Amino acid sequence: MQQYVNLKINNVPVRAAKGVSVLDAAISNAICIPHLCHIPGLSDIGACRLCIVENIEDGRAKITASCTLLVQEGMVVFSDTDRVTKLRRNIAELLVAQAPNSKAIQDIAVRCGVTEVRYPFRNGDCILCGRCVRFCNEQARANALGFIGRGKDRHVDHPPGSLSAYCKNCNACIQFCPMSVTPCGGPMKKGEERLCGQCESQLSMTKDLPGVCVWCELGKSFQCSRYLAV
Amino acid sequence: MPKLKSYSDLEALHKRFLEDKKSSGLTLIIPDGTCCRASGSTEVIAELKKELAIQGRKEDIRMRTTGCHGFCEQEPIILIEPGNIFYCRVTPEDVKDIVSSAIKNGAVIDRLLYTDPVSGKKVMTEAEIPFYRAQDRQLLAFNKLVDPRSIKDYIAIGGYGALTKTLSGIKHDRVIDEIRVSGLRGRGGGGFPTGRKWTECAEAPGEEKYIICNADEGDPGAYMDRCLLEANPHLVIEGMIIGAYAVGAHKGYIYVRREYPLAVVYARLAIQQCREYGLLGENILGTSFSFDIDIGRGGGAFVCGESTALMASLEGKAGEPRAKDTHTVKEGLWNNPTVLNNVETWANVPLIIMDGAKRFASKGTKGSKGTKIFALTGQVKNTGLVEVAMGTSLNSLVFDIGGGAKNGRAIKAVQTGGPSGGCLPVSKFNLPVDFDALFDAGSMMGSGGMVVMDERTCMVDVARYFLNFLQDESCGKCVPCRLGIDRMLEIVTDITEGRGRPDQINLLYELAETISETALCGLGKTAPNPVLSTLRYFSEEYVAHVEKKSCPAGVCKALITYSINADKCNGCGVCLRSCPHDAITGRKKKTHVINAQLCRRCGICIGECNFEAITAI
Repeated sequence: MQQYVNLKINNVPVRAAKGVSVLDAAISNAICIPHLCHIPGLSDIGACRLCIVENIEDGRAKITASCTLLVQEGMVVFSDTDRVTKLRRNIAELLVAQAPNSKAIQDIAVRCGVTEVRYPFRNGDCILCGRCVRFCNEQARANALGFIGRGKDRHVDHPPGSLSAYCKNCNACIQFCPMSVTPCGGPMKKGEERLCGQCESQLSMTKDLPGVCVWCELGKSFQCSRYLAV
Repeated sequence: MPKLKSYSDLEALHKRFLEDKKSSGLTLIIPDGTCCRASGSTEVIAELKKELAIQGRKEDIRMRTTGCHGFCEQEPIILIEPGNIFYCRVTPEDVKDIVSSAIKNGAVIDRLLYTDPVSGKKVMTEAEIPFYRAQDRQLLAFNKLVDPRSIKDYIAIGGYGALTKTLSGIKHDRVIDEIRVSGLRGRGGGGFPTGRKWTECAEAPGEEKYIICNADEGDPGAYMDRCLLEANPHLVIEGMIIGAYAVGAHKGYIYVRREYPLAVVYARLAIQQCREYGLLGENILGTSFSFDIDIGRGGGAFVCGESTALMASLEGKAGEPRAKDTHTVKEGLWNNPTVLNNVETWANVPLIIMDGAKRFASKGTKGSKGTKIFALTGQVKNTGLVEVAMGTSLNSLVFDIGGGAKNGRAIKAVQTGGPSGGCLPVSKFNLPVDFDALFDAGSMMGSGGMVVMDERTCMVDVARYFLNFLQDESCGKCVPCRLGIDRMLEIVTDITEGRGRPDQINLLYELAETISETALCGLGKTAPNPVLSTLRYFSEEYVAHVEKKSCPAGVCKALITYSINADKCNGCGVCLRSCPHDAITGRKKKTHVINAQLCRRCGICIGECNFEAITAI
């Protein structure tokens, strides 16, 4: 029999099945926690750190990613405190400075409140969210993709480094890649990268309810798992 | 060797080996660790063997090769017992003299004795050398008594006595109690109370439990774990067996980095000897308790020193940390309860069981008990491995043991805790070596690296060095660590190359906060420490770099110009000849001049000038 636990996310009482993550519990209860590397049905690795929340334990607020945090009875979690919002904005700023040529990441930057980018833009192709790798290994069971190298040299590749014979050509990696959606105005050339910010008007509807999912259009392009689940 | 079947078997063996040792006369002790070999101990040992054979004294003069004695500056060392005579910087040519004088009983060769750099006097015995005198060597003291390849040596000094004590009388929880009362805290860096860790693991549900010894030491300039494992592997193994008994584990791993080949060889040999003696394997010492140890070798990734990454690596996966919301004591290796401790922590366990928790707790401060080994490196006179009681001040470490600055320069800071630690200025040198005191000061104990810096060190450049290291060694899994450190490095490089802007300092603070709050693992969370601590204590250097575009220490090449002080230059021409870019001109016996356009700021001339006439500002 399915067991349930009760917890509070942003002071909202939530009942969730035992064993699910706080992020899943929040999304299925229409509480918005921005996220990028999480896809329903795949394992969570906590790589993008956008879904950070404050988990109150013994009176102390501990910041942790909600996708790898499992629900527990009596848990108290906040996803929209000033501290979390600020840290999330900083992470989104790092992401958009790295890969401005993705509508998904531009939209996440808007959703997380980035208004200026204080670093020089880099026209990166990959932000190593690992969606393709996990889908390929866990769902397609092809094991054709993996992470290679560490630190700055980390990249996604076929494990031996050449075109893999394991690839089933399912194209799911492309579908799930946040870089596959270019900004509305077309790809930005090197040296012309900017923070797009055009969807900012859409945020007005979340102004009074910052933590509530309003089925924003933003989520469509960055593949919010609420859209994926439907 | 038949397996030991009972405690009395071990006791009898101990007595026999001890008698054997007592009856031995003159013994020449030569440290032969990796660091000693780098200084040439292998050649000295080969020569010594040859010489003893020539003189026909192979039987009565014993020779013991041991692990490092800590005074790496003076190696190769030969220690003569009895007498405690200490010869340093021995060359193969000296060996003949040493052997013949040793045979003549007591004749001491003056030229090979250690000269105290402070008083200038020759010192005859090891005990009198200030470097050793100021230490409190509890773990390292065994190094000269034990040949790491010989289990006999270890049993002769009472080795595996703590294991007998544990298995024969004390119940599981009493062992943990003993460790908890001792106040032992993890020596790997975090300082987590070992007793609490063991309790949580012992209480965690699960049939299979694991014990891991973390010997994946990756901090630049730190080699405490290597030295312990190379010098006394049995001490670590005994600690692990006791730990396994306490928490109920039957399998253990020593995870050691591949760059420590000697440590791997010695640890493997020690495990094999233990199996032969019945100290590892089924029914240890005839009891119902079974435990075995295997060796896992790391590929040299710094991040694999982090507990979850280490376990992933042992499981055969890529060495990347995972979220630690469930602690590894409950779900560790293969999702089973696991106790992971550092080499030095394990090495302390037999001492606590043998001598009692009270004796261990009598040393140290309120929150940190016992002794701690540090690798003292950098700009001090005496570099090497030192062990001091917790609570000893940094002053005493740097000046009493380290002997103060090399070259008569002023000491500026000390970097503790490796890349995750911070730089503490001289004004903080009265701080005690204590987990909490160092943490509050913005640094951390870390695993024990201690790099001393003098006035010719630029703190912004130090921050850049560590960021560069961390950027290379970050696993790259999570965004704040991978991109955040990269951006911090970008900013700090800008500052050192003269492109810094005042607003970037605030950005550094904000980035540091983001990384330390949100990174996935402990290494990421502490990664901004080098920048934060230098910003905290040496902010004026950052300001000088950003606003005046100058480097006060004369290190950052883009910000300095070299010039010759006309009052000091006597026109000897040394700098002129040494300059690879022909940037220095001047006639003999006349003041020389540096052409700023041609000068590439390599710094060779500064090193060559005997009159300190060249300055970099």
